[in-house]
Amino acid sequence: MKMIIDGRGIYGIPGETILEAAKRAGISIPTLCHHPAFPGQGRCRLCLVEVNRKGVKRVVASCTYPLLEEGEEGEEMEVKTSTPEIEEIRKDIVMLLYKQAPASKLMQDLFRQYRCAENSLRENSGEKCILCNLCARACEEMGTGAISLVMRGTEKRLATPFDEASPDCIGCGACAAICPTGAIEMKDDKESQKRHIWHQHFDLVPCARCGELFATKKQLDFIARREGKSYETSYYCEACRKKHTAKTIADFRRRRE
Amino acid sequence: MEKSLVIKPEKCTGCRTCELICSFKHTQETNPMRSRISVFCFEKVGFSTPIVCQQCSKPACMEICPVNAISKSEETGAMIVDDIKCIKCKMCTVACPFGATIYDPVLDVVAKCDLCYGDPQCVKYCPSKAITYQAADEAHILRRKSFAEKFRGFYEEVNK
Ligand code: SF4
Ligand code: SF4
Ligand code: FES
Repeated sequence: MKMIIDGRGIYGIPGETILEAAKRAGISIPTLCHHPAFPGQGRCRLCLVEVNRKGVKRVVASCTYPLLEEGEEGEEMEVKTSTPEIEEIRKDIVMLLYKQAPASKLMQDLFRQYRCAENSLRENSGEKCILCNLCARACEEMGTGAISLVMRGTEKRLATPFDEASPDCIGCGACAAICPTGAIEMKDDKESQKRHIWHQHFDLVPCARCGELFATKKQLDFIARREGKSYETSYYCEACRKKHTAKTIADFRRRRE
Repeated sequence: MEKSLVIKPEKCTGCRTCELICSFKHTQETNPMRSRISVFCFEKVGFSTPIVCQQCSKPACMEICPVNAISKSEETGAMIVDDIKCIKCKMCTVACPFGATIYDPVLDVVAKCDLCYGDPQCVKYCPSKAITYQAADEAHILRRKSFAEKFRGFYEEVNK
């Protein structure tokens, strides 16, 4: 469908969201809970835009608002990604998310960038999580599903069941990698060869050749189980796996000669 | 017909030009550590060979990826990582039996051979033509298959 974003006429593909159409056209809209692998969560509301359809103005979350099929009365949609009203709402959202996660560097930066004013709202001191839920989505997609949002209202947070070590967690660190605020603590201890994450100490596997700690034992088991095969060579790190392949070819050639 | 990288170790001199050009093409830097192709030399037995992604028909990287960020290119048959969709879980780097998928911490991307979208630079620059990019004819496929079978037997034997 034809649409106008910030005064520019573009074609939106039916089914895609305003955010996707805007990105395609090179127009950026601020987001926090959006990741191309997990689009349309609609949690943080930072991506709000003003939509004008048939003269009716509405403020919608651009990451969830889908574009319509072509030809609905030749209707043209107009989108504004930044108006004084939108900026005001975004500023409030940033302020609130900062109060939720004042220890997060990202929220501190945004708080300054949006020129939010200090106020007397209680801060969740020490917290870094903005409850965007991306970690839980990553874990779910991994097929492990070890973490989720628990509790309600002001108590809401991300956790393993009963805040205990979850047997489902494989210590892959996908959750920590996707977290936009660095709220998930993951530490690899070379000394004890353990990875600490989510109340657990996972055995790290040293590469059988060079000793580099390259994955957790449970991660390797998980991959082996997925692929239904045994995994001797996976006890090498990437570099040594390559070397091992080269060495095997060398030996193979020599034997044939 | 789909083309693939054919490596002839007997021609490889171990000069590492492929590593440099690969790194330059993908990172604008000639740093062998960031190359998608790696050369291994075994001086004692006088053998050297580049190792690079095999673009497997049953790719472990693609199968393990939780968010389907890896797909097979329709044009070249190469496994391509969608950097934007990738969640950097690095499971593919662990899953690849050849260690051909690596994580580049500088660009924060998963790096693997993409066949340079049909114009592989290693092939272009290898001074001794140890890497070629060619479509396989029937006879060639059969020869490769029988080699692969024998090699697999050997590989499994030494990995017992
Ligand atoms: S480390 Fe555990 S909780 Fe985090 S994504 Fe992996 S399996 Fe899930
Ligand atoms: S690192 Fe990226 S490409 Fe590799 S398995 Fe994870 S999401 Fe997929
Ligand atoms: S990015 Fe749209 S609600 Fe968070």
